[in-house]
Amino acid sequence: MSAHPLAEPLPRATLCEQAPSDEGRRPESHSSGAYPLALWGVTKRWGTGQPAVLDALDLALEPGTLTWVGGQNGTGKTTMLRIAAGLIEPEEGTSEVWGVGARKNRVRYQTLVSFLPAGDRGLYARLTVRRQLEFWARISMIARERVRPSVEEALDAFDLGELADRRVDRMSMGQRQRLRIAMTFMPGPETVLLDEPLTSLDTQGKALLIVAIRQVLDRDGAVLWCSPSGESLDLAFDARWVIDGGRLVGA
Amino acid sequence: MSNDSIAAAHAFVAVMRRDLSIYLSYRVRLVSQLLTSVFSVTLFYYISRLVHVSGFKSPSSYFGFVVVGISMVSVMYSCFSIPELLRQELVAGTFDRLLLSPFGAVRSVIAMTIFPLLYSFVLAAITLGLGCVLFGLQLHWSTVPLSVPALVLALLAFLPFGLLFAALTVLVKQGSIGTTWVIALLSIVGGLYFPVTLLPHWVRTVARLEPFTAATSVLRHLLVGSSIGESPSGALVKLALFAAILVPGSIMVLAGAIRLGQRRGTIIEY
Repeated sequence: MSAHPLAEPLPRATLCEQAPSDEGRRPESHSSGAYPLALWGVTKRWGTGQPAVLDALDLALEPGTLTWVGGQNGTGKTTMLRIAAGLIEPEEGTSEVWGVGARKNRVRYQTLVSFLPAGDRGLYARLTVRRQLEFWARISMIARERVRPSVEEALDAFDLGELADRRVDRMSMGQRQRLRIAMTFMPGPETVLLDEPLTSLDTQGKALLIVAIRQVLDRDGAVLWCSPSGESLDLAFDARWVIDGGRLVGA
Repeated sequence: MSNDSIAAAHAFVAVMRRDLSIYLSYRVRLVSQLLTSVFSVTLFYYISRLVHVSGFKSPSSYFGFVVVGISMVSVMYSCFSIPELLRQELVAGTFDRLLLSPFGAVRSVIAMTIFPLLYSFVLAAITLGLGCVLFGLQLHWSTVPLSVPALVLALLAFLPFGLLFAALTVLVKQGSIGTTWVIALLSIVGGLYFPVTLLPHWVRTVARLEPFTAATSVLRHLLVGSSIGESPSGALVKLALFAAILVPGSIMVLAGAIRLGQRRGTIIEY
């Protein structure tokens, strides 16, 4: 099984043999057995005295794996993703990507991980698709000479070329979702966190998403996919978990 | 300069370009703001002809005084627009994107101030230009170039107020909370429409403690030759001190507010 609610540490020596250097983007610590994503003892409460939404949750993704986490509405899937993305902080526990802590080295962490939130938010309605991607490339601090090629690659990979000069508020929901997914994958992240990514996507959009996921897995990154119920995809999940009582259990 | 610094500099420019693109996508907005300037200048031109204001030797000298004040109002509004812009980002979910980018939320919010401040700079220049073209406002051209660095210093002294209200927005999710009455208050104590010497003594004391009065006085002195009441260098030192102390202080407060929001999990709320 490729992802573990960890009762015991994974065999890290095996992992470090599998993780490539990827042009020096990965921190050196990956060779000492870190994971593309590891959550250790993550606990989150929404208010003092409230029950824990996540209760000492452990999760480690191995390189090259696609993991699904499900569970009923309100069980903490999105909270887990937000913590993994570095958007919010847990009361206890840590989140690491290749050994880089979300709190200890924020900039590095955000270079390695990319998050697609659920819903259709996070776009500037009055910007064109191309401007949106260029902006995201810039604040992702992609090297100057790579900005334009990255934007063109993203337009091509998600079949957005014909929409490049269209404003977001003039696009359909499915087209917006493709743009959001393009923004998620464009910086070439090591770890991709997807929260209900199939929202509004048509068959072609799903196929493009799967291609992008495969590329991440092929370079020994990892993808964590959250949705309430298991998805039917042309791509097998390497592991399936559900959140129950704030912890992961096998699905 | 390291690659990261260069990438960060490009990100600052990207935020400014984004704001310019969004602004230009609302074409009526520019026309509306130009009309506001035209009517404001016209209104105060006729007020200056109608009412004799003590302390001014002629209607034209009051007109020059108040046109600079009107220009400063647009600068003030721009400073205090930052919280509302931030609130729009929170509602649209784009703030999450900024927060999750390597560029980060703090630098993004600082970058968000660039376009409104540059825009207010242009709007102030247009307002002065309208005063000259439509109503014969006499500028002191020999000192006008000096007003540019003075205005930059003033913007740096004002910026922390916008950042502090932005920090408040991160915490309480209301962009314009307090800004309307603060702008109205500062318009009074800053002497934008009338001299602060008309105000009660204790209000004049307050006026000496905030940067808006000093900035407006210096700019009036440089642009239309109004008597400043204090030495120009003293006013500039006051602005520099405000900027030197409050800019880093307000950035720290903003960073703290964002961190607190992340810890409490409220950063995603709007």
